[in-house]
Amino acid sequence: MQKYPLLVLLSGFVALMPFTASAAVNLPKTVKIDPDKPEAVCPKGNAEWREATKIEGVEIQESLRCHPDNPAQVAIEVKGTNNVSMDTLMDTYFAADAITKTNDMDGDGDPDHIIIKLEVTELNGHSPDFDGVVPTFDIAPGIEPGMWVFAPKSRGMATRSFVGLEANPLLRMPSPPIRVEQGDVVWIVLENTHYFPHTIHLHGVDHPWIDSSGEGNDGVPQTSDKFVLPGQSKTYEIRPRQPGTFVYHCHVQTHVHLAMGLVGMFIVEENRPNNWVQTFNVGGGQVRHPAKAILEEYDNEYDLHYHAMDKELHNIVQKYNDPRLIARDMNRRYDMTDSTEDYHVLNGRSFPYTLRESIIVAEPDKKIKTRMFNSSGEILAIHTHGHKGTITHYDGVEHNPDSQIMRDVYDMAPAQRNDIMLSTVDDGLHSYGEGIWIFHDHREKGITTDGMNPGGNVSAVVYKKYLNEEGLPKAIGENIMPLFTKAFSARNYPVWQDIDEWNSLGEVDATGFKNPPPAVPMMVKGPMTLAEAKRNQAKAGNGGGNNSFRNFLVGLMLGIFAYIVVINREKIIALISSKKGEA
Amino acid sequence: MRVLFFTAMSFLFSSVVFAQEIEDHDNMLMDHGGGHLMDMGGGMVMGQNLDTLPGGCDKIATTKEITVHAGHKYAKKFPGRMFAFDVQEYQFEPCTKLTVHFINEDHVRHQWMMHGLPGYLYPKGMFHLEVTGPGKVSGTLILPPGDKTYLVHCDLAQHMEKGMKGQLKVGKGSGDLPSIPGVTEFVVQDDYSGAIPEKLSYNQSTDSASAKAATAKKQQPTASDDSFISGVMVVGLAIGLLLAPLLAKKFKGMTAAEVVTYVFELIKETVNYIIQLINTLIKKASSGKAS
Repeated sequence: MQKYPLLVLLSGFVALMPFTASAAVNLPKTVKIDPDKPEAVCPKGNAEWREATKIEGVEIQESLRCHPDNPAQVAIEVKGTNNVSMDTLMDTYFAADAITKTNDMDGDGDPDHIIIKLEVTELNGHSPDFDGVVPTFDIAPGIEPGMWVFAPKSRGMATRSFVGLEANPLLRMPSPPIRVEQGDVVWIVLENTHYFPHTIHLHGVDHPWIDSSGEGNDGVPQTSDKFVLPGQSKTYEIRPRQPGTFVYHCHVQTHVHLAMGLVGMFIVEENRPNNWVQTFNVGGGQVRHPAKAILEEYDNEYDLHYHAMDKELHNIVQKYNDPRLIARDMNRRYDMTDSTEDYHVLNGRSFPYTLRESIIVAEPDKKIKTRMFNSSGEILAIHTHGHKGTITHYDGVEHNPDSQIMRDVYDMAPAQRNDIMLSTVDDGLHSYGEGIWIFHDHREKGITTDGMNPGGNVSAVVYKKYLNEEGLPKAIGENIMPLFTKAFSARNYPVWQDIDEWNSLGEVDATGFKNPPPAVPMMVKGPMTLAEAKRNQAKAGNGGGNNSFRNFLVGLMLGIFAYIVVINREKIIALISSKKGEA
Repeated sequence: MRVLFFTAMSFLFSSVVFAQEIEDHDNMLMDHGGGHLMDMGGGMVMGQNLDTLPGGCDKIATTKEITVHAGHKYAKKFPGRMFAFDVQEYQFEPCTKLTVHFINEDHVRHQWMMHGLPGYLYPKGMFHLEVTGPGKVSGTLILPPGDKTYLVHCDLAQHMEKGMKGQLKVGKGSGDLPSIPGVTEFVVQDDYSGAIPEKLSYNQSTDSASAKAATAKKQQPTASDDSFISGVMVVGLAIGLLLAPLLAKKFKGMTAAEVVTYVFELIKETVNYIIQLINTLIKKASSGKAS
């Protein structure tokens, strides 16, 4: 009877041998990560907005991208809220007094007194009522850093509708590019709807240091201006004499306020007769109503605003509701000299969302004007695939036409602007022919979102031939759908899942897996080389732990010493007694 | 619609411009139908209802008028808030015809927006007053029957979160909404654990505070001595005190050179003594081992 259980146990072990053996030699299995349902690549539709059209007498260019600007909005941006019908106004989110255009002072057929009203909006801000942010603006799927922007004065709710939390289309990154005409009398009214003080500094734009009433007009609190406090407003007066691509930004605690997003492009277009310029280009990208001087030389115009964000800074506004705590952390605890930029955006979004809004649509033998602006904290190196562009202007000043240079990497210092002429002439220099040619920062972190690639400020020059009816590139590369999931942003989705039949670079699942004892090395090629021996020694040292090995050596030495002492005890005693005698 | 538009326009041009700081938008508004009135100066009323009774109301129970002030200054009594209404709570009988005069005293937009009204009467279930300050806009609605608490707030980004929030109870209401300044707590509360300033005295400028600072200054020398008397110093002091008389005795009548020589000799002797001590210890140990 006693032998029976032993027998059962033994036979059981023998029967299980193949399995235990296989478990011992196999590595953990590969599993598939369910990325959840990807969002639609082009969700908003509005296909009719893509066509060239005319609203309120305003010519609006075709815009074939997936999310084109609302033509009614463009019409208002050109005519002003005071020169359009109520129906057109109601098709947008503009306040009735957002853009006022009056007074053709030089009699050339366009208004010369422009009043532009800007509010300050926090995106993805804190709520004391629920665990989430409001109003939301995703720079990539599920990525919602807290941001501040100057926004055209809007009306009604901050959200798109009364259900959902998505910000209305006027409230978004970046602060909108603003366009005026050379010689216009422009009043920029800052209505500070935010809970912190702000100002506007017109960087590079011709503006007097004080305004007509003797008040500061430069936006710098340390020298010229009082803070524009929460709930207060301030009008900046300019009459710019020089055209070019310039900048406007908040100059209060500039290091953080600019980084938070209170910075935008300010473009002064050359004076021409009957030149109604598009005051705002909300969201940047294609200008659907380019100014007269641009159309004399170019077919299309694009505003490309590059920005970068340190998530530690942008999280602060989401951590507290109390403005005093936010001010404390931003102004005194956050140390920008220790910062790293995590999110790299083009026109307020990162790849793949840039594909919806910021592609450049090209056709052969055309000329495209791009205005590039770097509002990040570091130098950018923008590279265009398939094209070498010509830099025509630096910081709004024309470069001598005889010495203008062609490049495929455009470096831009912080706050710098490059106007770049992209020619689509297929001569192997200006363009290498039709295709989907990406353009992106060539500092490699610029093509990541918080260090994850693909992401960052990547977009593309897409030739019409390669554009589908939804306004998306007809790509022939790998499937990009996984990029439109929150699982990808959350770093849960293996970038190379399903690259082949058996998912050879998929996710490892080591649940319940324990490393079996390592195999014993066996010499198959003859004696070990010195290097191999050393490597093994090092491995042994690491495996056994340095301390125990050392202890062992010490013990060994002590043992040897004791042995010698015992052996020579007669001699030692004699030595000691002789010493005693001496003493 | 068109007739209304022109009537409103004629109103606009005939209206007397009041020479006061608060701009009255009531006569500037153009009626765009469906309870929507708007002017070109940023004044707006949505969901206006002067005469349609909500289902369940037989008649207008009573007629009320309130004036609501809004602005940064009304947040003064609520630390940690930035914008507020002057009143946070209202209560009315069901089926009240309510006229709200909304006065915005800031120089930016504010709203008095009410949510959750019956959608068939009020587009999107909202009654909404909006005006850029300093300005006034007025609107009227008829409150529905039943006990219900309605949210009133400004929907500009962060205005409600930073304090511009209230509640309007019809009948007994249906409970309290959270995070209304001075009325209810936040659902998600801030962490104030790190908010105890180290240099509080820098912020105090009252007489008593400066007097305290003065006394603190007088006591300063003692305070600094306290911090200097560390353990090491006490030991050094004690040794010094014990050795001083002995040294004084020794060096009596000596020149500086003699003192130096003596000190060197002392050091030599000490070293010798230590070496001897070690030697004897070794011997003792080895003899013990031998036996």
